[in-house]
Amino acid sequence: MNEPGTGRSGTAGPGTGFPHLHVASAYSTHYGVTLPEALAGQARAQGASFLALTDRDGLYGAVKHLRACGAEGIRAGLGADLAVHDDDRLPLGRVVVLAHGGTSGRGYAALCRAVSAAHQAMSTGTGREPSIGRSELAELAGLRALTVLLGPVSDVGEAIGRRATKEAGARLTAWQGSMPTGSVCLEVVCHLAEPGSRGSVTPATRMLALAEQNGLPAVLTNAVRYGEPEDAVTADLADAARTLTPLAELEQPQTNGQAWLKPAGAMRQVARMVVDAGLHDDGALTRLLRDTDMLADRCTLDPQADIGLGTPRMPEARVIGVTGDPLAELWKRGRSGVDERYAASGRTAVETAHARLEYEMATVEHLGFASYFLTVARVADLVRGMGVRIQARGSGVGSVLNYALHTSSVEPIANGLLWERFLSPERQTLPDIDLDVESARRHDIYRAIFQTFGADRVSLMSMTNAYRGRGAVRDAGLALGMDAGQVSAIAKQMWRFNARDFRRALEEKPELEPLAAEVRASQQLDQLVDLTARLDRLPRHISVHPCGVILSDASLLDRTPVQASGMGLPMSQFDKHDMDPMGLIKLDILGVRMQSAMAHAVEEHRRLTGESIDLDRIPLDDEPTFELIRSTRTLGIFQLESPGQMELVGKLQPEVFNDLTVEISLFRPGPMQNNMPLLYLQARHGEVVPDYIHPRFEPILRETRGVVIFHEQVMRLFDELTGCGLGKADVFRRHLGKPEQLPLIEAYVREQALGRGFPPAVIDRIWTVLAGFGSFGFAKAHGAAFALPTYQSAWLKTHHPAVFLAGLLTHDPGMWPKDLLVAEARALGVPVLPLDVQHSVLDYRVEDLPPGHAGPVQVEPVTAGSPGPAGPRRGIRLALPELSGSTAAERARIVRHQPFSSLQDFRDRVRPRRSSFEALARVGALDSFIGYDRERRHELLAHIQSLRGTAVAVHDDQLAFDVDLPVPRYTGDRFTAVTSLELRGRTQTELELRDLSLAVSGHQLARFYPLFAELGVTPASALADLPGGTEVLLAGVRRATNTPPMRGGRRVVFVSLDDGTGPVANVVFFHDAQERIGAPVFQTRHLLVRGRTRRSGAKGVSVTGDSLWDLADAARLVKQRHSAERAAKNAAGDEARAEALAAELAAVAPTNVRHLWSARSA
Amino acid sequence: MPQIIDIRVDVELSADGDPRAFTWDRFEHTIIGQPQAVFTRTRWWENDGVPTRIDTELWRVDAARGGEEQHRYDLRRDVDGSWVLALDWG
Repeated sequence: MNEPGTGRSGTAGPGTGFPHLHVASAYSTHYGVTLPEALAGQARAQGASFLALTDRDGLYGAVKHLRACGAEGIRAGLGADLAVHDDDRLPLGRVVVLAHGGTSGRGYAALCRAVSAAHQAMSTGTGREPSIGRSELAELAGLRALTVLLGPVSDVGEAIGRRATKEAGARLTAWQGSMPTGSVCLEVVCHLAEPGSRGSVTPATRMLALAEQNGLPAVLTNAVRYGEPEDAVTADLADAARTLTPLAELEQPQTNGQAWLKPAGAMRQVARMVVDAGLHDDGALTRLLRDTDMLADRCTLDPQADIGLGTPRMPEARVIGVTGDPLAELWKRGRSGVDERYAASGRTAVETAHARLEYEMATVEHLGFASYFLTVARVADLVRGMGVRIQARGSGVGSVLNYALHTSSVEPIANGLLWERFLSPERQTLPDIDLDVESARRHDIYRAIFQTFGADRVSLMSMTNAYRGRGAVRDAGLALGMDAGQVSAIAKQMWRFNARDFRRALEEKPELEPLAAEVRASQQLDQLVDLTARLDRLPRHISVHPCGVILSDASLLDRTPVQASGMGLPMSQFDKHDMDPMGLIKLDILGVRMQSAMAHAVEEHRRLTGESIDLDRIPLDDEPTFELIRSTRTLGIFQLESPGQMELVGKLQPEVFNDLTVEISLFRPGPMQNNMPLLYLQARHGEVVPDYIHPRFEPILRETRGVVIFHEQVMRLFDELTGCGLGKADVFRRHLGKPEQLPLIEAYVREQALGRGFPPAVIDRIWTVLAGFGSFGFAKAHGAAFALPTYQSAWLKTHHPAVFLAGLLTHDPGMWPKDLLVAEARALGVPVLPLDVQHSVLDYRVEDLPPGHAGPVQVEPVTAGSPGPAGPRRGIRLALPELSGSTAAERARIVRHQPFSSLQDFRDRVRPRRSSFEALARVGALDSFIGYDRERRHELLAHIQSLRGTAVAVHDDQLAFDVDLPVPRYTGDRFTAVTSLELRGRTQTELELRDLSLAVSGHQLARFYPLFAELGVTPASALADLPGGTEVLLAGVRRATNTPPMRGGRRVVFVSLDDGTGPVANVVFFHDAQERIGAPVFQTRHLLVRGRTRRSGAKGVSVTGDSLWDLADAARLVKQRHSAERAAKNAAGDEARAEALAAELAAVAPTNVRHLWSARSA
Repeated sequence: MPQIIDIRVDVELSADGDPRAFTWDRFEHTIIGQPQAVFTRTRWWENDGVPTRIDTELWRVDAARGGEEQHRYDLRRDVDGSWVLALDWG
C-alpha cells in the first residue's frame, strides 16, 4: 500500500474494524471539528462495527451520533469527556465516562446525570469549568452503569507523563478505593509523537504497565478530535479560538496531527509500537486489543431499550390535572369546548364542529397523543391564569380540538384551516404547537411551568450556533495573529456569500476585487481565506433557544443532560433536531413584543376608565378598523407596518378578516418572487377574470381569486385530483420541494386525475401550478394566526390610540425608531409629554391633559378612522428608562417616592448620581421645582452643578425631611448672576436628543423648515392629497431602508423619510436611480429627494425617487445664494455670481409643482 | 554524527503496514525488529498556503544490508506516499 499516513486503508471488511471509545465530535465546540454523521460514515467505511462518541463536557452530539450510527448500521456507544475533582475540590484531570448498554437505560441515565452534575457544580459557583466530584461519579457508576477511563490527561496519566511512577500508582489506588469494582479502566493513547513529548510511545507503554501491575484492564483509544488527518489544521484553529491565542503563541499546541479516526490497521500498528517500547507480559498486545473490544461490547447501547429513541414520553396524567384516562378526559373537554365555542354560531356550525372534533380525535387516539393535547392546553391555561396574553400560532391553529381546548383562539372551520396540515397518521413526527405570549412575561411563564410541572419534567431547549462568515474570519485572523483592525475590515465585507465559498466569491464578485488583489499579494491573507472556509458552519457554542421548552415525565433528567442557561433555568444539551428522535415534547413559547404592547394598552385603558377590554372577543368586522388599515396609516400595526406592507395593504384594500390572512401570506419571499401579489390583485380588483382552471377547483381557489397561496389549497387540490385524502396530500405537498420526488408525484397525479375525470389539458395546467409552488407559500393556519394580532392592534389603534401608542412606546415591538411613534402620536392628536420626575414612571402612561393644554408642538391631527370616544384630551408621558445613563435603582427610587415637594426632597429621597441629576435638569424633568418656568432652567442646572459633597452609598428606602429648599433665584444684574452656559443656544429638542435620544417636544428637522419653505418641499402629510405622477421634492431624516424581495431579482430600495409632519414618506429607488445616485441611496442621513408620486391603490401613495441630495449641502447652497444676493445688492458687480448660484440651486429643485411648506408646519 | 542522505528510496511494507525493507543504491536493506514511527508537527502558518498535513512522518528503523553491521536510519514518508531516506545515524 502506498497511501500516505500510517496504514490507512478503506478496504477493511466488516468485523475487522477498530472500536473507537474516545471520540470528540464538532459538537465539542472549539475542540472537535468533525460532525457526528461524517465520523459514523468514516467508521463504517473503515469496517468498524462500533463507534462511541464522547464529547467534552456533554452529550451535545449524542442524538445525532445515535441516528448516524443507526443509518450506517453500526453499533453506537456514548460517553463524555469530563473533568473530575476530589472531595477537597482538588482537580483530578479529565477522564472519559462511558455508559454501559444492555442495562435498560441505567447506564445512559447515569451518564446524563453525571454530565448534569458536572455542570451543576459549575453553576453553584464552585468552579469555572464543568467538573464532577469523584464521589458523585462513584455513586452514579454503581450497579455497573458506567466505566471510567483514566487516560493521559487524568491525574494518573499526568503523573506517568512526568515519570512519577509511584505517585501514579498511589493516585490509581485512590481511584480504585473510591470507585465501584470493575468501573475503572486505564486508557492507552499514543499519537506517535517525538520521544519526550506528550503523546509519545513512552508514557503509553508505562500506562499499559501500570494496568498490568494493578490487574486492571487497559484499552487503546486514539483520543480522536477529527475524522481525517487533513482536519488537523482545523483542530489547530479550534485550539487558538478556545484559548484566544494566536497559533504561534499557543502554550500547548497539538503535539502532532495524529488524533484522527484511524482505521484498524493503523491502530494495531500503534498498539504494536506501544507494546514493543516497554517490557510487558506475553500476550500484552492481544490483551490490549481484546479488552478494547470487550469494553466496546459492554458500551454498545440499544437505541430503543437503553435510550428510548423514538418513544414519546408525555407528562404523567396527574401532572396535567387528569385523574382518569387522558383520552376520556380529552373527549370530555373537547366536546364541552365545542359546545361553548360554537354556541353563538348556530346549530349547523355546532354540528359541523362536533363532526370535525370526532374526526380529529380519531387521529389523536390512533397516534396516542391525548396527553400531548392536554399538556399544551394545561400550559395555555397556566399562562392565561397569570393574566398574560397568549396566542397560538402554527399549523396547530388548524385544529378544532385546539380551539375547543382554548389552546388556540382562531376558529379553524370558517377560516378554511385543515387539521391534516397539523397532524395525520401519515405525519409521524411529534406535533408542534407554538404559543406567542407577552415578551415581557416570558421568563415568568417559564418559571411558572417549571413550578407547575416540576423541575424534573421541564427543561429549556438549547440551540447550536454555528460559525458564519464574520465569526469565521475573525477567529481565523486571531489564529494567524493578524491585526484586529485588518481582520475587522475584511469581516465587514463577508456578507451575501458563504464563508466556505470565500475563494470563489473573491474571484467572482467585483466589489471584492480590492480584497482579492490584497489576497494575491499576501501569503497570510491567502491562508486566511482557506482557514475561514474551514471554520464555516462548524458548531461554535450552544445557547438557550429563544422559545423552546421541553416537557416530559419524571424520566426527563435520565434522558437529557442539562446545564444552566443564561437566565438560570436548566437547559437541555439537546437542540430542536434532537427532540423528535428522543421523544421529547417541545413547546415553542415565544415572547412577542406586540402582545406585551397590547396588554399594556388594555391595562392602561382599565386604569384610566375602569373598563376592561377583552381583545379576544372584539368583533372581527369593525368597519372603522378596516378603514384605518385601508388608509395605509399602519405604523405600529402588527405585521403591516413595513413600507412594503403599507404599499401592499393600500393596493389590496382589505375589507374582511380573511383579507388580512391573505395579505400577510402574500407578503412572503416565495409569493413575492412568483408574482403572486400582482396576479391576486388583478383578479381581486376585477382587472382580469379569476382563472380557476377547472370548475372543480373553484371552491378551493375562490378565496384567493384563482391564485394558489396557501398550503391548505395545495393539499385540497391534491385531494381533489387524486382522492388521496388530505393526510397523504400533505405528504405530497411537503415533497414538492424535493426535485427527486417530483416525477413520482406527477405520475401518480396524472394517472389518478385522468381516472377522476379531469381532461389532460387541465391536468397539465394544474400540475405546472403545483410543481411551481414548490416549497413556497404559507400555511393558512400561520397567516390566520398572524392576522388576529394584526386586527387586534389595528382595532386598538383605531379606537384607543393613546393607550395603544403608550404600549408601543413601552415595549417597542416594531421596526421603526421611537421618534416615529412619537410623530404618529402627535399626528393622532395625542401629544407625548416631556420627562418629569413628578409624573414619569417606568413605562409610558397616558395622562389626562389639563383643560386648555395645547401639547408641545401642534400639528393638525390626521383623523384615524373614528376619532375615539369624546372625553378629556390625553397625552402620553415619557418613561424614565429613556434617560440615558440612569440606573435602574435610581429610577425605582424616583417612582417609589413620587411626588416630590421640593428639589431638596427629591435630592434626599432619590439621591441621584450627579450625571443623572444634571441630565434630568437639562431635559426639564426637574422643571416642576422652578414652577415650570423654562427660562429659569439654567439657574437650576447651575445650582445642581454647584452642589458639592462626597459620594455615599444609598439605601433603597431613603428617609427624607420634607423641607422646602427652593432654588435660589439668581436675580439682579444678569451679567453677574451665576448661570449655566450649557443651555445657551440649545433648543429643547437638542437637549432631549442628547439625554434621551428621543425628541418629544419638537422634531429634529424643525431647524430645516424655513429651508423647506424656500425650496418648495412637500410635507409628508400632504402627499396623500396629490394625484399620481406629481413631481415633488421631499425631505426628511432616514428612518428605515428596506430591500424587499422582488420578482426578477432586481433590487428595489425603499427609503422611509420622516419630516415630522406625519407618517413616514416612502421613497422607492428603482434600479436605474440606484445606479445614478450610488452609495448615498444607502448612506445619506438627512435627505432631499426629487421624484414623482406613485399611487398604490385608493389610499396608498409613495414617491419614486429620481435624485437625491444631502440636506446639509442644499442648506449650504441656499445660504451662499443669500449672501451672494446681499452682496449683489451692495455691489451690483456680483450679480453674475448670484445668478450662477441661483442656477445651481435651480438644478437641485426644479419641480413643476411647488407645494410650499406651510407656515403652520414650519 | 548522523549523515544526511536525502534520497528517494523504494520501501517494501509488511502486511501490517510497517516498513519491512528498503532498497538504497540497488541494495536491499532489511529492517530488524519493530520499527517506530514518529510524527513531528510543523509550524505551518509560517509557510505558504494551508497544508493537508500538519506533521511529517518519520520512521526510525534498524536495518542491515546483507550480513553487514546494522545501522539506524530515518525514513520519511511524504504526503504523496513516496519515501525518502533522510538520515543514516550510523
